[in-house]
Amino acid sequence: MKSALKWDVVAKCGTTKARAAVLTLPHGPVNAPVFMPVGTQGTLKGITPDQIEGLGCQIMLNNTYHLGLRPGQELLDTCGGAHVFQGWNRNLLTDSGGFQMVSLLKLAEITEKGVQFESPHDGSLMLLTPEHSMSLQNSIGADIMMQLDDVVSSLTTGPRVEEAMWRSIRWLDRCIKAHKKPESQNLFAIIQGGLDPALRKQCIEEMVKRDTPGYAIGGLSGGEEKDKFWRVVSQCTDLMPREKPIYCMGVGYAEDLVVCVALGVDMFDCVFPTRTARFGNALTATGTLSLRQAKFKDDFRPIEEGCDCIACKSYTRAYLYTIVTKETVGCHLISIHNTAYQLRLMRQVRESIIEDRFPQFIHKFFKDLFVEKTAYPEWAVNALKSVNVDLIQGEEQP
Amino acid sequence: MTQAAAPTANTATNTTISVSTTIPLSPTVKGNAHEHNHVEDNKELIKRVIETPGCFMHTVKGTVPHLTPDVMRLQGFGGVHVSIEQLLQDHQPAGFDKWPCTLSKFLNLQDMVLLCDLRDSSQYAKVPIKSDRHVAIKTHKGVRQLTLEEYLKVVRAYQPDIVATMADQIADPDFSSGSTGRGSVSDGESESQGSPSTGLGLKRVKRSVDRSLKWLDQILMDRQGMDALAADRAADEAKRRKKKGTVAGGHSLRDLENQAQEILKPDLATGNTVTAATSIPWTSVSVFAHVLGSHVEQERVRSAQETAKRDAVDGFIVDANPLQGSSKETLLSLLKVSLDHLPVEKPRMVYGLQTPEDVLRSIALGADLFDTTYPFHLTEDGKASLYSFGYDNNNISTSTSTNCTSGVATTNRWINLWDDEHANKFVPILEDCRCYACKGGRHTRAYINHLLKAHEMLATVLLMSHNMYQYSKFFSNVRQSIQDGTFEQYSASFVEQFGSEPERTGEIHAAQAIVEAALLKRNRLDGSNSNSLSSGRSSGDGDSSSDFEGDQGAMSKKDRAEARRKLKEQERHERKEKNRVEGLKRKEEKQQRLTNETREP
Repeated sequence: MKSALKWDVVAKCGTTKARAAVLTLPHGPVNAPVFMPVGTQGTLKGITPDQIEGLGCQIMLNNTYHLGLRPGQELLDTCGGAHVFQGWNRNLLTDSGGFQMVSLLKLAEITEKGVQFESPHDGSLMLLTPEHSMSLQNSIGADIMMQLDDVVSSLTTGPRVEEAMWRSIRWLDRCIKAHKKPESQNLFAIIQGGLDPALRKQCIEEMVKRDTPGYAIGGLSGGEEKDKFWRVVSQCTDLMPREKPIYCMGVGYAEDLVVCVALGVDMFDCVFPTRTARFGNALTATGTLSLRQAKFKDDFRPIEEGCDCIACKSYTRAYLYTIVTKETVGCHLISIHNTAYQLRLMRQVRESIIEDRFPQFIHKFFKDLFVEKTAYPEWAVNALKSVNVDLIQGEEQP
Repeated sequence: MTQAAAPTANTATNTTISVSTTIPLSPTVKGNAHEHNHVEDNKELIKRVIETPGCFMHTVKGTVPHLTPDVMRLQGFGGVHVSIEQLLQDHQPAGFDKWPCTLSKFLNLQDMVLLCDLRDSSQYAKVPIKSDRHVAIKTHKGVRQLTLEEYLKVVRAYQPDIVATMADQIADPDFSSGSTGRGSVSDGESESQGSPSTGLGLKRVKRSVDRSLKWLDQILMDRQGMDALAADRAADEAKRRKKKGTVAGGHSLRDLENQAQEILKPDLATGNTVTAATSIPWTSVSVFAHVLGSHVEQERVRSAQETAKRDAVDGFIVDANPLQGSSKETLLSLLKVSLDHLPVEKPRMVYGLQTPEDVLRSIALGADLFDTTYPFHLTEDGKASLYSFGYDNNNISTSTSTNCTSGVATTNRWINLWDDEHANKFVPILEDCRCYACKGGRHTRAYINHLLKAHEMLATVLLMSHNMYQYSKFFSNVRQSIQDGTFEQYSASFVEQFGSEPERTGEIHAAQAIVEAALLKRNRLDGSNSNSLSSGRSSGDGDSSSDFEGDQGAMSKKDRAEARRKLKEQERHERKEKNRVEGLKRKEEKQQRLTNETREP
C-alpha cells in the first residue's frame, strides 16, 4: 500500500527492544519514541497552538467522532481540513471514531455493516461504517488515520473476541479501499485479538499482508491486568514488522511509557496528563502533586525544579494552590506543565537510547518515581526482565 | 513614591480635558519588614511607567482571567490591579509573619506596576456589616471581617507599588434593597436605612466619610512608622474601664473616644504625632485614597476636600460601582463632583465606568486611570470588540448583524461569536488586528464559534487576548489624540459611530444557554444562577465529567440555603393562613349555632 511517511531508525538499544527513530510525515518530522497529547475537539484544552509548538510537540491527536459532529464534515471541507481550522501546522493523528461511540454511547449496536448508534443531539439512528469513517478522516486531513476496528473491551472473553478480530480485518480491507488520499494521509491498521496470544498472532499475520504504513496495538488500556497487558504488547512487537512504526493506543502513565518503549513501542497517546491537570494534579519525576492540598499553601518552590515550562518559570506551588481548579489560568498552567513533563520524558528516553544507556535511565527513572524497590510495580519488573533489565537485582552502571 | 510630571495644560471650560501625564513609579524593591529567609534578589531601583490616561489590568486571584503570563504580557498594559480579598482567605494575615517575599514576586509581576485594593474593582459586592474598626470583605469562602490592624499587616507583607485605602463603601440605598434589614445595633449597621434624603441615610453617609478619613489618617501614620492604632487602643481601654465602672459618670462613650482621638490626632501637614515611631515605615508604597460620599453631593465634596488636604496621599480612587443603581448621567455627575475637588497634579483612578464612551466622558471630566473590567465582561459574554478610536477607523468590519440596540450606532462595536453567522467565517475577528488571536489570520471566527459551542476554554483565551489588546490600543490612541489636540473631535465621532454599550443584563446568548443547560444536566449541578458568568466553567471533552470548581459551586449552595429558607418561610405563612381561615370558619359556625339556638323555640 502506498505510504506517505518515512521511518528511519537512528539507534537501537543494545539491551532492550527499544529504538530511536525519526518519523517523517507530511507536516514535518517527528522524533520517536513519541508521546502524542490529545486535542479532542481541535484544541488542547485551553493551550494555544503557539504554546503547544513551544513545548516541542510535533504531533497531536484529534478526535474524528467529536469533529464529525461539530464543526462537521462540510465545514472542514470548506476550510481545507483540521490543520487549517485549528491553526496547527504540525502533524495530526485521528482515530476512527469507533472507540468513542462504543465507550460514550449507551445504545451502540455493532453489525457487519458498521456501528449503529443514536446521535447524542437528536436521538436519530446513525451508522458509522468503515467507508464513512474514512471519508470523515479524509476531510479532517490528519497525517495519520486509524482504521475503523471492531473494538471489544479487554475484559471480554469468549467467541466475541475472535469475531471482533476477524471483522476488524475485513473492515481494514474496506478502509483501504475507501481511503481517498493515501499519498498525503497514512492509514494505520489496528491489531485486535484481546488477550489471547493465538488470536493476536493470527491478526498480525493477516494485517501485515495488507502492508499499511504503520500498525497499532488496539484493544488494550481497558482495565485489564497490567501483567497480561505487557505480555500482549511484547508479543505484538515481536511479530510486527520492525521497519514500520508501532503505536500502542491509550498509553499512558509515565511508567507505562517507559516499559512499553523497552518492549519496542514507538508511539503513544493518552488523555491522562491533560485530564489530571484539570483536577489540579501536576506530574513530576518524583510523583504526582495534588496542588489543591493545603500543604502546598506555603511551598514556595516551583512544581518541578529544572522544568522550563511557563508554569515552573513563573509561579510557585503556593501560588498555583491558590488558582488550580478555581481559575482557568490554573488549569492552563498545569496542562502545559504536564504536557511538558510527558514530552520531556520521551525526549530523555530517546536520548538515552541514542547514547545506548537506556537501561541506566530506566533504573534511575523507577528509583526517582517509586524510591523503594519494594514499591516497584510487579508487572513492570516482570516486563523489563523479559527484555534483560533487572530492576531488582541489577544496578545502575556508572 | 508616585511622582506625576506637571500637566502642560488644563483648560477650564465646559469640558475639562486632562492632558497626558507620565507617572514614573520607582519604588525600591525591598524585602519584608519582618525577619524572613528569602530576601529580594534585585535591590536596584526599578522604574516602571504608566502613561495616563491609562489602565490597570483587572485580575482574579492575581492573574488576568484566561491569560497565562506569556500571553498576558502581549497585551500592552503596564499595570495590574490585585484585589486582596481574593487572596486573603488562602493566606491569613496571621501567616504573614512567614511571608517570604513581596506580592509582586509571589505573583511574578515584578515588571508591572502593582496596585492592591481590598476589593474587586469590577463589581460591588454588597457586604452586610461594617463598623468603626473593620470592614467586611467577600472572599471566596464567604464574608469575613478585616480590621485595620490586619489590613496594615497585609500591606506590610505585600509591599505593593500602590495600595488603596481601607474605606467604608456603601451602596445606593435603593439599589441595596433586599438587604436583611437592621443589623445589631452596637457595633455594626446594615446599609439600607432609608434614602439619603431622610436624616437616617444621611447620617450613614456622613459616617462612612468620617470613618474612611480616620482610617486614611491611620494608614498614613502607619506608613511613617507611627503607632497608628494607639488611639483605638486608648478608646478600647476607656470602654473597658467604663464597663468596669471606674470612669466618672456623665461621659458618654463617644466623648471618651473623641478625647483619645484628640490627643493623638496627627498634624495634618507633617503627619507627626506625639507618639514616637514604633515600627518600620513602608514609605516605598504609594497610597491612593478612596474618595466617597455616596449620592450626597455635599458629602462627596467634603470627602474629596478633606482627603485632598492630606498631602501625603499620592493619588485618588473614585469608585462608581456602589452607585450602579443610578442612571449613567447621575453617575457621571457624581464623578464630576468628586474630581472637581481633587488636585490636578495627582492621579485619579475610577472604578465602574469602563465602557469606551464612559471612559471618554470620565477622561473629559479629569479621570486618569481605569481598569480592564470591560474587555473581561465582553469575553465572558462571548463577544469580540471591533471598536477603535480615532486613528484606525478604516479597520471596522462591516458585519451585517446588529448588536447595538441603543444609541445611533452606525457600526458594530462588537460581534458575538456565539452567533451562527460566524460558523463559516474563515476570517480573523478583525482584519489587520495584531493581537495574539487575530495576528496572521491564525484563529478564525469559525474556529472560535466552534470552541464556544464545544465549551472549550481556548475560546475565552482567544477572546480575552483580542479584547484586552483592543482596549489597550484604545487608550494609547486616546493619549495620542490628547497630545494632538483631537481628543474632543474623535470622542464625538466615536460616540456617533459606535453609539453606547447596551446594558449588561446578565442575559446570555441563546446558543450559550443551550450549551450551559446541557452541561448542567451532565454535571448534575443545580440551582446555579445563569447570571454567574464567572470563569469557573467546566470543560467538556465528551467522555469525562471534569469538575471545575468555581463560583458556580458556591453560589448554588447559597442558593439552596436561600431556597430552603424561603420554603420554610412560605410554609410558615401557609400554616398561619390556614389557621386563620379555620379560625374564621369556627367563628362562623359558632355564630350559626347560636342563631340556630336562638331560633329554636
